[in-house]
Amino acid sequence: MARAVTPQRKALNTAIAALIGALIFFPIFWTVLTSFKTETQAIADPPVWFAFDWTLENYTAVNQRSDYLLHFWNSVVISVGSTLLGLMIAVPAAWAMAFVPGRRTKDILMWMLSTKMLPSVGVLVPIYLLFRQLGLLDTRMGLVIVLTLINLPIIIWMLYTYFREIPGEILEAARMDGASLREEVTHVLLPMAVPGMASTVLLNIILAWNEAFWTLNLTAAKAAPLTAFIASYSSPEGLFYAKLSAASTMAIAPILIMGWFSQKQLVRGLTFGAVK
Amino acid sequence: MATTHARAAARLMISPSVILLLGWMLIPLGMTLYFSVLRYNLLMPGDNPFVGIENYQYFLTDPAFTAALINTLALVVGVLAVTIIGGTLLALLLDQPMWATGIWRILVIAPFFVMPTVSALVWKNMFMNPVNGLFAHLFKSLGLAPFDFLAQAPLFSIIWIVSWQWLPFATLILLTAMQSLDREQIEAAEMDGAGALSRFRHITIPHLGRAATVVVLIETIFLLSVFAEILVTTNGGPGNASTNLTYLVYAESLLRFDVGMGSAGGVVAIILANIVAIFLMRAIGKNLDA
Amino acid sequence: MLNTRFMMGTVAGLALLSGLTSAQAEEITIATVNNGDMIIMQELSSIWEKETGNTINWVVLEENVLRQRVTTDIATGGGQYDVMTIGSYEAPIWGRQDWLSPLNDLPGFDYDDLIPTVAANLSAEDTLYAVPFYAESSFTLYRKDLFKQAGLTMPDQPTWDQIRDFAAKLTDKPNEVYGLCLRGKPGWGENLFVFGTMVNTFGGRWFDENWNTTIDTPEWKAALDYYLDVMTKYGPPGATSNGFNENQTLFQTGKCAMWIDATSAAGRVFDPAQSDVADKVAFTASPVAEVPKGNSAFWAWALAVPASSHKQDVAKEFISWATSADYVALVGKEKGWVAVPPGTRLSTYENPDYIAAAPFAATTLDAIESADPNDATAQPVPYSGIQYVSIPEFQGIGTTVGQNISAALSGSMSAEQALQSSQRSAEREIRRAGYGN
Repeated sequence: MARAVTPQRKALNTAIAALIGALIFFPIFWTVLTSFKTETQAIADPPVWFAFDWTLENYTAVNQRSDYLLHFWNSVVISVGSTLLGLMIAVPAAWAMAFVPGRRTKDILMWMLSTKMLPSVGVLVPIYLLFRQLGLLDTRMGLVIVLTLINLPIIIWMLYTYFREIPGEILEAARMDGASLREEVTHVLLPMAVPGMASTVLLNIILAWNEAFWTLNLTAAKAAPLTAFIASYSSPEGLFYAKLSAASTMAIAPILIMGWFSQKQLVRGLTFGAVK
Repeated sequence: MATTHARAAARLMISPSVILLLGWMLIPLGMTLYFSVLRYNLLMPGDNPFVGIENYQYFLTDPAFTAALINTLALVVGVLAVTIIGGTLLALLLDQPMWATGIWRILVIAPFFVMPTVSALVWKNMFMNPVNGLFAHLFKSLGLAPFDFLAQAPLFSIIWIVSWQWLPFATLILLTAMQSLDREQIEAAEMDGAGALSRFRHITIPHLGRAATVVVLIETIFLLSVFAEILVTTNGGPGNASTNLTYLVYAESLLRFDVGMGSAGGVVAIILANIVAIFLMRAIGKNLDA
Repeated sequence: MLNTRFMMGTVAGLALLSGLTSAQAEEITIATVNNGDMIIMQELSSIWEKETGNTINWVVLEENVLRQRVTTDIATGGGQYDVMTIGSYEAPIWGRQDWLSPLNDLPGFDYDDLIPTVAANLSAEDTLYAVPFYAESSFTLYRKDLFKQAGLTMPDQPTWDQIRDFAAKLTDKPNEVYGLCLRGKPGWGENLFVFGTMVNTFGGRWFDENWNTTIDTPEWKAALDYYLDVMTKYGPPGATSNGFNENQTLFQTGKCAMWIDATSAAGRVFDPAQSDVADKVAFTASPVAEVPKGNSAFWAWALAVPASSHKQDVAKEFISWATSADYVALVGKEKGWVAVPPGTRLSTYENPDYIAAAPFAATTLDAIESADPNDATAQPVPYSGIQYVSIPEFQGIGTTVGQNISAALSGSMSAEQALQSSQRSAEREIRRAGYGN
C-alpha cells in the first residue's frame, strides 16, 4: 500500500525545506554576494541586496596581493596527495581488520581513533623542531605526511566499515577458485568497495583541504595552501568585508563545487557502518 | 576460521599503519613529556633546567584551567546536542516526500565544505559584528539595541558557529539511516493506529541509535580540539569565557612561548582526551558490535 | 681608435653582464603584518624585484598570528624567513639573544637621518637590530565638526577628565555616533597599547624597584574604573573585539567622535580615498591624568634579518631599500604623500610635500621624539618601556592582563577581580622567572 501524499502536503514540505535550506545556506550566499560589492556597500545599513554596482574590484585586489593559483595548487597537491598516500597505507590495514579479525582488532581500531584526540597545539614545538631537522618546513611533502597521519585513523575506520559489509563468502569462493591474495583484493574486493572508497577519498580531501592548524604553522610561502591565503585577510586595516568575502569565496569555491558534484558518492559511503 | 598464514599476512598488512601512528603518537608525546619537566621558554634560550613537576603544578592551579575544562565540556556537549537534535529534525524533514529534494539537500550540506577559518571570519564580521554585522542591522530595524554576541555570549556564539559547520554531517548520517528504515514496519504501525509522534518515538528513534552514536564519536574527536574558530573570533575571551583546553595550551605555548608549561598542558589534555576516548569507545564499541 | 672604443665598450658591457649574473638572483621570503603601510610595501616592492632581479615570497598575516609564527621560527632556528617584521618590543630582546643579524653597517644607509629615539628603541647595547619601517606614538583624534556643533573646544593638552566630559556631550547613540573609541580587544599590543599609557598617567606602574608586582594598587584601579566607565557609557558596542584596525574602520565611517590611538592612523583617516571624515578630523596630544608623563605610547614596526637566514645579503639589500628615504619618496609619488610610512626619518618631516599633505606631521614627530621608555612612570621602576615592559616574560603577563581587562569591559569580571587576577598571575610569572631574588 503506497501512502497517499496530497500535493498540498508535498508543497508544504517543499516550502519548509526550501526555507530551512535557504537559512542554512544564507551565510555562504551572503559572502558570495558581498564579494561583488564595494567596501562601503558591504557594510551599508540597511543592507543592499541586489541593487548595487556589481564589481570585480575585490577579486582584482586579492589577486594583486596574493598568488591565488599557487595557494590553490598547494591545497590540491596536499589534500589529494595525503588522501592517496593515506589510502595506500589504510587499504591493507582495513582489509586485514575486516576479514581476519583478531581478539585485539577492535582495540587497535579504537586506539587508532584515539590518536586523533591528541591536541595538535601541544605538540607543535616538537614537530616544528623535527621538521627543521628533516628539512620539511614549508614543503608540500611535509604537509602531505602530517595530514596523512592525522587523517589515517578516519580513513582506516571508514574503509573497515565498508569492507566488513562485504560478505566473507564471496572471498572464500574466490580463494577456493585459487585466487591469490592480490587477485582477491584487486578483482573481488576493490570493485565491491568502490563506493565506500570514493566516499572515503572525498571526505578526506575535504578534511585535508580545510585543515587549518598544521597547514598554517608548518608553511611560510612556498607550500602555503588556501588556509594560509585566507589568514592574510583576517582583520586588516580599513574596510575589508568585501575583500574578505572575495578571498573567502575563492578559498571555499573549489571544494564546495567538488562537494556538490560528488554529493551522491560522498553521501552513499558516509555511514561509518551505522546503517545495516 | 582464518588460518595462521592468513593471520600473519593480516598482521603484516596492519603493521605499517600501526607503526606510523605509533610513531606519530610516541615521538611528539615523548618530546612533550620531556619538555614538560623543563623550564623551557622559547624567548629565553639557555640551559632549560629540569624542574620536575613544577610546570604541572602551575598549569593545574591556574584558574584558567578549571574554566577551560568546563568550556571544553560545554562546547562539546552543546554542539552535540544542537547537531543531533537539529540533524534528526532536518533528516526527518528531508525524508518527507517533496519536490526538488536534491536542491534543498545541497543547500543544507554546504556548510560542511567551508573551512573553519572562513566560517569563523564570516560569522564574526558579517553577522555578529555589533556595528556592521547583519544581526546588528536586523536588531536595529526591529528597534532593539544591537547585541554584542562575541562579548556577551562568547561561548554560545562559538557553539553556534561550530554547530553550523557540523549540522550537515549529522543530518547526512541520520538521513541515510532514516532512509534505510523499513517502510513496511512503519506502515504496519500506521495500520495499527499509531500516531505520527508515537511512530517516531518507538520506531524511528531506536533505529537512529547507531547512526547517532557514530555522529557522537566522530564529532567528539573533532570538537575536543576546536581551535581555529576560537582563535579567529574571541581569542578565548573575554577573560577566559571561551577558552577551551586546546586554546589554553595554545596560549601557554605559543602566546606566552612557555613551552614547558604548554607541554605540561598538552600532557594533561592528552590524558583527559584519552579518558573521554575510553568512555566513548566503551559505549560505542558495544553499540557498533551488533 | 674607433676599434679600441668599441672594444672597451664590449669589455665594459661584458663586465656589467657578468657583474649582474654574479650577483645571482635570489628568492627571499618576507614575513609581514597586514597593516596598510606594509600592503603598500608589498605592492611597490615589485619595483625592487625588477631592479635587482631577485624575487620575494610574501607571508602576510594578522599581527597576532604573525608574531606567533616568526617567534616560533626564530626561537627554533627554523630559518623559514629572510626578513621579519618585528616590533620595538622584540628587537632588543631578540638582538641580545643573537637571533638577529646586527644592522650597523648597511651599505649606503643613511643612519643619521633616523629619528634618534626610534633607533634607540630598536637597539641593544648600541647595536641596531632592526631598521624602522614606521613608528608611532599615540594621540587624540577628534571630529572638529562635531566639536563645533556642540560648541566645544579641544585643548592642546586635554586631560582624561575633559575627554570624559566631551564624550558625554558628543555621544549620540541613535545616530551611531559614539563619544570615545578605545581599543578593547585583548592583547598586550591591543588594549594595553592605550590602557598601558593610562596606567602611567594615572600614577601606576607594573613593578616596583624590587620586582614586586603592583597591579592591585589604587592607581591601576583608578585607571581601570575610568576606562570601564567611559567605554560602557560612551563607547561603541562590541568594544571588546575592537583593536586598532576595527576602531580605525569605525572612525573612518564617522562612528567615533574621539579616538585615542596610534599616530600612524593619521595617514589613513586623513586620506579622502579611505575615509568618510577626511576633512573633518583634527588631532591633539594624548590625554593626561595626574602624572604628565608616560601618556603617549611608543611602537615601531621594523624590518630585521634573522641570523638563521641563508640569504643575508639580499635580505639586507631589501630592508635598506624599504626603509630608505627613496622608498618614502616613492610612496609619496605613487600613493600620495599623506600615505608615506611615518615616524622614522627626519627627512620626511623636513619635506615640504609631506608637511603640506600631512597636517599632523609636527604633532606626530613631537609625540615620537618625546616618548621616553626610560622615564614613563611617576614612581621608579626596574624596567624600560612605556606601554609594555621590556622583558621576555611580558608577552605572557601582558596576554593575561589584556584578557582580564577585556573581561572587565565585557562585564564578565568586576574591576577588582580583573586586577586581582592579573596581580596573581603576574606574580606567578615573575616568581617563576626568578626576578628580584
